[in-house]
Amino acid sequence: MSSGWGSEIAALLAKEVRAELRGRSGLLTALLFNVAAIVAASFASSAQGMPAFGIAAMLWVILLFAAVVALPRAFLVEEEQGTGDLLRLWARPHSVFWGKALYNLGLMLLTGALLSALYLLLSGQTVERPALYVACLLGGCAALAGSTTLCGAFVAQASNRFALAGAVALPLLVPLLAVTVTGTASAFGAGSAESAERAAAGLWAYAVATFAMGPYLFAAVWKS
Amino acid sequence: MTGFLIAALGLGVSLGIYLAMAAAPAESFQSPELARIVFFHLPCALISSLFLVLGAAFAAARLVKGGAAWDRRSHACIEIAFVFGLLALATGIIFSKVQWGAYWSWDPRQTSFLLVMLIVGAYFALRSAFADEARRGAVSAAYALASLLPILFLVFVYPRIVTTLHPDVVREGGFDNEYRVVFLVNLAAILGVAAWLYNLRVRCASLESNLEETLARLADRDRPAAVGVVRPVSLSSED
Repeated sequence: MSSGWGSEIAALLAKEVRAELRGRSGLLTALLFNVAAIVAASFASSAQGMPAFGIAAMLWVILLFAAVVALPRAFLVEEEQGTGDLLRLWARPHSVFWGKALYNLGLMLLTGALLSALYLLLSGQTVERPALYVACLLGGCAALAGSTTLCGAFVAQASNRFALAGAVALPLLVPLLAVTVTGTASAFGAGSAESAERAAAGLWAYAVATFAMGPYLFAAVWKS
Repeated sequence: MTGFLIAALGLGVSLGIYLAMAAAPAESFQSPELARIVFFHLPCALISSLFLVLGAAFAAARLVKGGAAWDRRSHACIEIAFVFGLLALATGIIFSKVQWGAYWSWDPRQTSFLLVMLIVGAYFALRSAFADEARRGAVSAAYALASLLPILFLVFVYPRIVTTLHPDVVREGGFDNEYRVVFLVNLAAILGVAAWLYNLRVRCASLESNLEETLARLADRDRPAAVGVVRPVSLSSED
């Protein structure tokens, strides 16, 4: 392979974006699902006068399902369309992982920013510590993106891949939820600033660990 | 394992059960007699965690060195961890009902262990989705390693950063001398049982693999040779 890592990753990222924009149905369906979920959650929380902890939990459950529904598609679609083998010939495993992971990260950050803004608007929840809220949101979205990308790669060649994607990803992601909810609730003012800082640091550490070991685990699966 | 070791193991387990039943009831508990369940509950939880870490270590060896033997070891460890994890959950649920008034109290340690079992369950689901042995081994090993981080967080970190009903007897030295001895005897005995089961499982998996290979070879031998239409081709120039 004569091309460098950077150009391979950039080409893969561009391919992912082009493919998504060309067939917009996946993006539009995910957007519709997420907005509908946010509206339902806001309706439920406004009717019951939900505490900040409950609002944070609801927001992260929606983001968790948004990640599980949308992100593993990056690999599943390759196998469905039979383009996975071409990708194996063309690019190194680490480039494939980074290309897909960066695309998923961008998508997850966009989803997180849009949905959380909409949810705050509809639920009327105020953010007492905006910097910590943004840190938790970014760290949580990055950790979700890294983990779901890896899960998508694990199940891509399985026999019942679409059903398996959620079943495999959810148990791995639920522990993250405990940290993100604690951090976000503290950023809303329901806990101490220290608690939110600890949660944000934990999320960033988790995201870094996932992205650091991801390419190596992915290479082992991709080559097999 | 030789007959002597199995006999020693049986003796150790019997001694552990006897000591647990003979130990003085813990008076500070709702049901002092039932507090002895800790002698079985805690070793099961510790052994489950230990085998999960061992399973991940064997999974790493599978990815680095390759070979089905490492995969069999890793899979066997995770199976043993699952069995002992379920035993820890079951004994915990019984104790929870008596001590805290409900079978499930949503205690952070109880919940985190349930999540660990769900992660292990997903490992089995993923594994069963691959028919090819090499691919199954690689994917299972990668998942076992990827799940180590959340498992360590759930077992060692999360229950310590939130308020839990569970006392941290190992770190805080919550056992008196008598209970510590009984606990250690039971831990050693149950660890012995787990190691024996692990050994049996690895040998069974190895035999299963050999049997599958032999059957595949026999099926190949009995298969008739491919019969096709052979068209005569003339070699001489006169034809």
